[in-house]
Order: sequence, then C-alpha cells, then structure tokens
Amino acid sequence: MMRETRIRRVPMALSAAGALALAVVPLPAVLDAFRPDFLVLVVFYWCIESPRAGGLSLAFFSGLALDVIHGVVLGQHALALTLTGAWATHLRLRIRVFSVLSQCLTVFALLTGYQFVLFWVDGATGNPVTTFGRWLAPFVGALLWPVLTSLMDKINER
Amino acid sequence: MVAFRSTDASGRITGLLFRCVLYSLLALALIIVDKRYDHLGRIRRLLSVAAYPVQVAVASPFQGWNWFRDSVTTRDVLRADKAKLEAELRLAQFRLQRYEALEAETQRLRALRENTESVTDRFVIGDVMNVDLDAFRERVLVDKGAGDGIYVGQAVLDSGGVFGQVARVGQLTSEVILVSDAAHAIPVQINRNGLRTIAVGTGESNRLKLPYLPTSADVIAGDLLVTSGLGGGFPAGYPVGTIAEVKRDPSQSLADVDVKPAAALDRSKELLFVWLKPQAAELLPPPKPAAVPKK
Repeated sequence: MMRETRIRRVPMALSAAGALALAVVPLPAVLDAFRPDFLVLVVFYWCIESPRAGGLSLAFFSGLALDVIHGVVLGQHALALTLTGAWATHLRLRIRVFSVLSQCLTVFALLTGYQFVLFWVDGATGNPVTTFGRWLAPFVGALLWPVLTSLMDKINER
Repeated sequence: MVAFRSTDASGRITGLLFRCVLYSLLALALIIVDKRYDHLGRIRRLLSVAAYPVQVAVASPFQGWNWFRDSVTTRDVLRADKAKLEAELRLAQFRLQRYEALEAETQRLRALRENTESVTDRFVIGDVMNVDLDAFRERVLVDKGAGDGIYVGQAVLDSGGVFGQVARVGQLTSEVILVSDAAHAIPVQINRNGLRTIAVGTGESNRLKLPYLPTSADVIAGDLLVTSGLGGGFPAGYPVGTIAEVKRDPSQSLADVDVKPAAALDRSKELLFVWLKPQAAELLPPPKPAAVPKK
C-alpha cells in the first residue's frame, strides 16, 4: 500500500504541474474564454482514480498555486477546488461505472460547481466578473474529459 | 505519511468530510485574511517567486520563437526596418529639439515660482511576459518586481501613452492593471480646453468611456485626453486617448463619450514604469512620519 501511493505521487505532481502551465499559456483572445480548467480536470482525475494518494491535499495546493499564478485573492481557487474535489471523491465509485456521456455530464456539474464558488468569492471580495463567458469553461472541460482520462490512463498504466 | 493514510481496514476512504471541512476552512481563512488584512503581502511575494519558474517555462518557447524569427529575417526586411527607424528617429530628434527648448522654458518659469523641480521623470523598462492571467480581466504580468523598486500604484506607460498602473508587486514580477480594465479609472483632462473628468475602463482593450460629462460639456470627437495629474497617481500631461464618439441624448443629463486609448493596450510588449519626480520623495518610502505622533 505504501509502495502504491509512492509510485503514484510522481505522475500526480507532474501532471498537475503541466496542467498549471497550460492554465497560463498565452492563447489568442478569441480562444481565451474557451480555455478549460485543465488543472481542475487533472485534480478530478486523481480524486477519482487514486483517492488514497491524498487527492484533497492535491486539490487544495493546486488551488493555491492557481491563486498565486492568476493573482487573485489567496484561497479562492483553493476553496473551490477543495469542495469540488471532495465531491468528485465522493462520487468516484459511481463515475467509474458511468457511460462516457454520463461521465461528461457529471464532470460538467462538478466544473459548474467549481465556477460557481469562484463566482461567489469574486462577488464577496468585491470584484465581480459578470460576463457569461466564464460559464463556457465547464462546457469545454466536460467535452475534454474523455480525452483527458484516456490519455492519463495510458500514462498511469506504464 | 500518517496524514495520507485515510483508509480503514476494509479499504474504504474515511475522514473525507473531515478533511474537506478542514481544507475549506483553511481556504476561507486565507481569503478573509488576504482580503481584510495586509499581512499576506510578504507571503504572496515569496509564493510569486515559486510561481516564477512556471511563468518563465510558459513564456520561454514564445521568446525562443521570437528569437529564432529575429535571427532568420532576410536582409531586405532588415533594410526596410532600418530605413523606417531612421525616418522615425529623424522625426523624434526634430521634436526633441523643441522639447529641450520647452523644458528649459518650463524650468525658467518654475524658477520664477521658486519651484525648480524638473519635469522629466525616472523610467524603468519592463517586458510583458507571455502569460495569460485571466481571460476576463485586463491585466498583464511584467518581468520587473519589488527587487527593481516597483511599487503598487505606480504609473505604467507605453510608447503611445498611459498603459495602466501596478496592481500587485511580486519579488521578480508585477501585475499591471490596464486603463481599460472595468475596475480602473484615471483622472484626465481634455488637452484643448483643460476640461477635467475621469476616464473609466470598459473591459474592452480598445475602448474607454467618460461617464461623468454633462451633455452640455465642450467635448468633440478627435479631442486629445491627457492625464491631469490630480490624485497624484499619474504624472500630468501624458496622452490617455482620443475622443472617438460623443453621443448626446437630450433626455439624459450625462453625455455618452467613447475614448480610443492612446497606448497599444493589446499589443505593447515593452512598458515604462515611471517615478514621479515631485512626489517621489513622499511616495517611495513608507510614510514613517505619520507614525511618530503616536508615541
């Protein structure tokens, strides 16, 4: 059991770092609103795939990293990612046996919850972003989910 | 390792709710402390150093590509560039001759008023890093930080005019909020008649607006807007934009004025950080004298 968790830490950290970089890679302004929350998807994947390896700690610290790199109030993404990460961990046994479509819909719900927490903290700290563009990311993220899981499974099986 | 051993004997996950509540409370506490109190500035500055490698890793392929493109440009392109730059330089030098005469004249006039401070400001040039901060806010990351003496609220210009101001300072990087951000406002005046007002960002990088001008205000399309220097944040006299359109609705008391920013907000790669000469002595060091009377 100890060996198992230790083996999984490395791809976990690497994939999270890669997803963090993708979160700030410059995109053309048109595509920018469609940028999915890569790091959130990766955290969900690990919460579902190996919840024993500390998925929630990963969620919290990934969120903190997003806060720093996006330059928003500290704890915003950490809170959103912790709550939805716990939700994903709670749903993991069901998600694994879902069809692809149901998986996508579940992930869409999770991502929307994540955006909602961000939206709420934005409003509570006094700098709300009210454009509808921010609700596009969950759509794109849910569409990306099957691709990401199959890719991560390949890497993980090695 | 104890913290991660979260399964009971049958392999089920335990304490999920407990850890979720724990981390959520921690995050909430962070949000409140960061928002209400200013204690996290130092921690954030250190964390931004940790984020720096990621930002550099993201930005470097683009810099590498630019370098590659620069090194394989043809002779013809370089010659055309050189000709263009020489023409621009000639024009700039021509203007500068007049500028020096004008500065000397200003010095003389100020000397008359026993105020001999120079009108020129100190500059530091920073490069915009190829990092997208947030799709819905008009902000950029620049590779100059507290280590270079950058401070929060500092005015930032580009070659065209006022670009924005420093919103947050890290040790190696700083975040600049553009004049076009919806949360940004800048005191301006119309160059033609000196009418003072406030230019507010719209969230679109090619448009500002003047929401506080009455319908009867003397403003026409094409007017140049410059900083008024009121409020002390920005140096006076730098171009902010030109009036693009004035819509006057007789039933409204305020006019609807659109401004085209003078700075290339969506294209500039090199920014000037400005130190205000007259106020610099007051702004740069933290206001210590205020603490003295408390003793």
